[in-house]
This record gives sequence, C-alpha cells and structure tokens, in this order.
Amino acid sequence: MGELAAFMILSLVTLIPAVVVVTSSNIVRAALSLVPTFLGVTGLYVMLQAEFVAGIQVLIYAGAITVLILFVIMLTEGGTGVRTRQLNDQVPLGAMAAVWLAFVLIVIFTRTGWPTAAGVLPAYNVVAVGNAFLSDYVLIFEVTSVVLLVSLVGAIVIARRED
Amino acid sequence: MALHTEELMLNMGPQHPSTHGVLRMVVTLDGENIVDVQPDIGYLHSSVEKMMENRTYLQNIALVDRGMDYLSAMANEEVWVLACERLGKIEVPERARYIRTIMLELQRISSHLIWLGTFGIDLGAFTAFLWAMRERERIMDLFESATGGRLHHVYFRLGGVFDDLPEGWTDRCAEFCDYFLDRLPEYDELLTGNPIFLARTQGVGVLPRDTAIALGASGPVARASGVAYDVRKAHPYEIYERVEFEVPVRTEGDCFARYLVRLEEMRQSVRIIRQCLEGLPGGEIRSKVAVTVRLPKGEVYARTESPRGDLGIFLISDGADRPYRVKIRAPAFSNLYALTEMMRGWKVADVIAILGSIDIVLSDVDR
Amino acid sequence: MIEIAIVAVKSALLLFILLTACAYMTLLERRLLGKFQVRYGPNRVGPFGLLQPLADGLKLVFKESFMPAHVDVIVYWLAPAISMVTALFVYAVIPFGPEVMLFGQRVPLRLADVNVGILLVLATSSVGVYGIILGGWSSNNKYSLLGSLRSSAQLISYELALGLAVISVVLTAGSLSLVSIVEAQRRVWFVALQPLGFLIFLIAAVAETNRAPFDLPEAEQELIAGYQTEYGGFKFAMFYIGEYVAIVTMSALLTTLFWGGWWGPVLPGPVWFVLKTLAFVFVFIWLRATLPRVRHDQLMALGWKVLIPLGLLNLVVTAVIVVLRGT
Repeated sequence: MGELAAFMILSLVTLIPAVVVVTSSNIVRAALSLVPTFLGVTGLYVMLQAEFVAGIQVLIYAGAITVLILFVIMLTEGGTGVRTRQLNDQVPLGAMAAVWLAFVLIVIFTRTGWPTAAGVLPAYNVVAVGNAFLSDYVLIFEVTSVVLLVSLVGAIVIARRED
Repeated sequence: MALHTEELMLNMGPQHPSTHGVLRMVVTLDGENIVDVQPDIGYLHSSVEKMMENRTYLQNIALVDRGMDYLSAMANEEVWVLACERLGKIEVPERARYIRTIMLELQRISSHLIWLGTFGIDLGAFTAFLWAMRERERIMDLFESATGGRLHHVYFRLGGVFDDLPEGWTDRCAEFCDYFLDRLPEYDELLTGNPIFLARTQGVGVLPRDTAIALGASGPVARASGVAYDVRKAHPYEIYERVEFEVPVRTEGDCFARYLVRLEEMRQSVRIIRQCLEGLPGGEIRSKVAVTVRLPKGEVYARTESPRGDLGIFLISDGADRPYRVKIRAPAFSNLYALTEMMRGWKVADVIAILGSIDIVLSDVDR
Repeated sequence: MIEIAIVAVKSALLLFILLTACAYMTLLERRLLGKFQVRYGPNRVGPFGLLQPLADGLKLVFKESFMPAHVDVIVYWLAPAISMVTALFVYAVIPFGPEVMLFGQRVPLRLADVNVGILLVLATSSVGVYGIILGGWSSNNKYSLLGSLRSSAQLISYELALGLAVISVVLTAGSLSLVSIVEAQRRVWFVALQPLGFLIFLIAAVAETNRAPFDLPEAEQELIAGYQTEYGGFKFAMFYIGEYVAIVTMSALLTTLFWGGWWGPVLPGPVWFVLKTLAFVFVFIWLRATLPRVRHDQLMALGWKVLIPLGLLNLVVTAVIVVLRGT
C-alpha cells in the first residue's frame, strides 16, 4: 500500500513538471522544470532499489545536463528569459504524431508479457552494472561514446564563426 | 578559434567596489572578454582651478592639499609653492629644502603603500592591504607629529615650511627607514613570488613604449613601459640634484612591471630620506614672506614628480594677491588615457587589475 | 519505532550542531583573518566576540525583505533555499564515528549508510549549483548574471576533477559507501596511497565551495557580490549558510576520504573526526588570507588542462594497481 502511494506521488512529481516543461512560455522555467522531473525519476529508481542508477541520474541529468541547458539559455538570451511563442502552423501535424505515438506505445505495453516475479537483487548492484556494460553491452556502450564525441565535435563546428 | 557570444554592455561604476572612487567605465563584453572600455570621468569635478583664482596664494596651499590628489597632499603643496616661489623669486632656506624633500619622499612611500594595498585587494589579496596600512600608519604618525595633520598637512609655505621638525623626529624617521626596509621583503613573499599573482599581472595590460609617450603617460606607468623619465632627474627641484638615487625602469609595460617599478621606487625613496637625514643642515626654516603676498606679473610652469607622475602647475599672475589663472596638469588624468589602450582584449577580471595598476586618484583626475 | 526516534533525534541534533558550527565558523574565520592581517577582528559582542554570530543572525533576520524590481519571484525565493538545503543534505551520509552503545541501544554515528554514499554526496553538491545559477539569473542584474555564469562553468569543470579523485579512492577502497571507505583506512590512510588524488581533491574542493583563490562567482572587486548582489536579509543568510556548510562538508569529506575519518590513537573517534575537519577548515581560511584571486580563464585552464588529465592518469594508475594486486 505504502509502495503504491509512493509510486503515485513520485509519478505526479515526475509528470506535472514535465507538462510545465512543454507548456511554459518562459524558457528558463521550462528548463528548470526538468529538475523535479529528473528527481522524480530518481525516486522511482530508488524504489526499484537501483541506488547506483539513481545517484547517476541526479549527478548527470539533474546536476549537469540541466545546468548546461540553463547556462546556454543565459548566454544566448542575455539572461532575460524571453517569452517564446508556443504554437505554430504545424500544430495539427504534431498532434497527429503524438496520438499515433501514444497508440503505438499503449499497444506495446499491453501486449508485452512483463515478468511479475521479482528476481533476486544483487547485494551490490554497482558491480553488476559495471559487468553488464563491459561484457554484454560493450558494443552499445562504445557506440554511445562515439555518438557523444561526434555531437561534441559537431557543436563546436556549428558554434564556430567563420573568421 | 574564437567562439563569440552576444555582446553585453556593463556599467562599472560610478558606484563600484573597485573603481577607486567615482570612475564610471562603460565596458562592452563578449562573454568575459572586453571588446571596448570607455572611461567616463567628471563625477568628482570640483573646479579646483577656478576656486584657486579666488583665494590668496597662502590659502591655496590648503586648497591644493585636498582639492587634488588627496593621497599625496605634500606633492600637491610642493608643486604649488614651487610655482609661486619661481614666479616671485622667493629664496628657500637650505634646511627647509631638506625637510621638504624628506616629506615628499615619505609621501611617495605612503602613496605607493596605499596603491600596493589596493592593488592587492583588486586581485583578491586582502591581507596585503592591511599589511600596507600597518606601514603607512607609521608614516602617518611621523606626518602628524611634524605637521599636525595626517592626510592634509598644509605644511609647506611660500619660502619654506610652517614649522621646524619636533625634537627626536629625525631619529624616529631613521628608525622608520630601517623598519620599512625590513618589511618590504614580506611583500615579495606574499605577492612577488606568488604564481597566482604572477599569472594575474605578467603580460597583462601591456602599454607599449611609443603609445605611452604618445598618450602623455608619466610616472611609474611610463617608467614601466621603458620611458626613463623622472622629473626629479630631468628637471631637479629641492635637493634632488644632490642626493643619489636610481630611477627604476622596466621595459615590459605590463601590470607586473608597474608593480615592480613602484616597489623599487619605495626602496629608492628610503635611500633619499636617509641621505637627507644625514645631511640635514641647521638654520632657518622659512624666509620672510608676507601673508598676503603679491607675486609679480608674469607666468610660470612648475613640474614635480608626484607619486603618480609628472605633476605640473601653470600659473599666471596679474600682480594681485591671488592668481589670475591656474592650470593643473594632473598625472592621473593623463595616465587614465592609456586605459582603453591597455584593456582591449582582456577579461573582466583584468579590468580591475589594469585599472588598479595605473594608480588613479579620482580627485586628481577630475579636480 | 525506536529506530525512527533515534534517527529523528540524530537529525535534529546534527542540524543544530551544523548550523551552530557554521555560525561560529564565520566568527573563527573573521578572528583568524584578523590575526593574519595584524588587526583584531570582531571582539566586542560578548567575551572574545563569542556572541557575534548571534548578533549577525538576529540582524539578518530582522532586516527588511527587499526585492528588486522585475525579478522572477518564485525562482528568486527558491534559489537561497536550494543553496542551503542541498548543503545540509550531504550530512545524511557522512559518518562521524563508529557505532557506539548509548542507553542500551547501538547507535551508529551517522544518519544513513547508503551503499552509494559518495555518489549521493557528489550528486547533491551538483544540484546545489542551482542555488547559485538561479539566484544570479532571477535577480535581474548583470553582475549577478555574470557571477552565476562563472559559477556554473566553474562548478561543472571542477566537479569532474573532484569526481575523478573520488573514483580513485573508491577503487582503492573497493566500495562506494563512505562507511566502508573509512573502515578500509583502518591501517593506512588513503592520503598515503593517493597523494595525487588528495591534492586534486583539495584544489577542486576549494573551487567547488567558491572560496579564495577561486571565489570568482562572488569576486567583490569585479562583480560586486556576484550572484548574491541583490539578496539581503535572511535570503542572503541562507546563501551564506550554504557556503559555510559546504566548506565544512568538503573538510569532512577530505577527512573521510583521505585522512582516515574517525581513526586515530587515544582519543575517541568523533573527536578525531572533528579535529581533522577543523584542521581543513583552517586550511580554507588560511588560503583566503594568503592568495590573490585567479582569473576565470586561468581557473578553467587549471581545471581542464591540469587537474582533469592528472585525475585521469591517477585513475588509470590506481585501476592498474588494484587489478594487479587482485590477481
């Protein structure tokens, strides 16, 4: 019972700011609303007893990524937090895409046979995470780092002005 | 490769912790980089030159004391009485000239100490400020016992000085010289050898030699840029001809060079004071000059080396008991010209370091 | 039930001790700076100025709650709270001593032994950046904005160096739990095994807490007071508390990670812990009295070109040694 209540509360903490992220016309507040969203997800991780992932979630997403987003906003907008327009001509198109995506997701969720019996948790899941990354998922792990490197180089190239 | 951001206009001052008074700088920033700096002066303008026309020659001593560079009151008095004495052909007794030289050099040390301290604060080294104040306090005490004033002395008179030195003053002064030379290495330990201090000052705010000359910079600012010009050597007054001292010159032209030049100047000042104390003759301290003296008709230009540089006064007399016109050449004003030149391309933090290294006093700039 | 009561009492006690310690740290700092700078420091309020923090606190509480025009109200009020709360939160996982028997109960001298404790510390301190960045943005002041931009750049850069130093310690101890890390130092303190890591952590810690010589976000001579320029009264005090608690945190972490935590001869564990932490607090104050401030780009260069490569090197060497010793 307590677990369900905690899940509900955490879901609300995650979802309500998530709505603000896409609806707020103040870009800084939108970016800022990402923080409670990430923290809510962190809470869900904690409920799943994945402390390590929870810690990393806060450290990377709530701590670093959002700070960087805010940093960029302040540099480009001169820190004024200008009101941006929320709607444009492509609203119907976007709505259609959203509905379709929601439909697909619901279908997938309902058709997947989720394992309900909990397995035995490793006592110390950092080791498990590390092993998984460097054995079963090593290819994905490496590809991800290459993608990050490429985006890093790309960002520098775009930001650079032709002198 | 350079990444640019949107330009940001920043008003530094007139109320700002480290613009050394009411200087306003309109700084255009690209991120943290300075694109342009426009100093805006005049907030402390008190029309000293005009006020001087309404005061007698004697009263003006008290005016230049506080109306101009308030950190080196003796230097202001000196240039004023020097101009008057030259125009009126007033003789100054030997003893008075020695006393004046001692006072001027003490004033130079005290002014440089304030500069050293505030420069330290500008760079975030607060301790240096309070240490400098400790030394300066000894000079203040010396001034106070001789002149009665700590900042504003009104001590020099046309034809001499107001009063003779009190008993034991020369001993205390000699004692201070020893004490001060002992203390100076402490600043080397605290600042000169400090890697952070070096990183903040070396190569920062370079003023090339020809630019320094073209902009009329003088004093330690010019000497740090390789201009070997010191009024005390070039146009000697008082007894500077007779004492031995060196004029420190550096060629780098950066903040660190200005720092080193001033530090060395303090050592040389001690050297001058010691020689003066040794050779201090007895006799009169003031020749007879009427209280409301009328200087003969004519004009004269007197220049001295104030702690900030070439301080000059152009004086026109029409024969009345007060000057007809006075024009002051303020060293801080001329040195401030170099500001924009030095700052372009540096960071926000360097604005303060470079401004601090010029050593401006706003009441000298604005007058 | 009794466990919950113990935790509640411990939390309240810890909060009280921390806030008091933080208040008296301001006094300690001002008195020490006075000694360094040949002057007295505050000595008028109470004997040896001991009531000075109280007077300061009262003054700040009773000040008018001023708010400049055109600020983002919610964010403006939120920022100091974030700053203070995150700083205090870290203490949930820092161990002060081994378990002790008290009134027939086994009471561990810590609030929680999370098995990713050190990760929690890093994560919390990274969230603490929001206090600064939001305070600077919401006050509608260019100096504040520059201050918060500087600090966010600084904190992100130095968190990396800090993290690298921490990971080396974690590898050496073989655990992310702070309690296990201290336990692992029973025989040899990690400062002997990780001297480079210690230095990197020390420098990064000074930068993380925005203290001299890395106090750029609030560089008085350049940016008035940086991100806190437009804050007054108790909002300002909250920033201040956050800053000083962070100093104590970093000192406590230095003690925990490198100087053996509560281990020490003769004296009981918590006493050693407090003594070591105080020693590092003194180092922080000493640095402030001695060093000029570095420039922003120099700070970044030091972080990215010196500390992070060194940290990586240290990490690789540590990892290799750990693996070799394991086989």
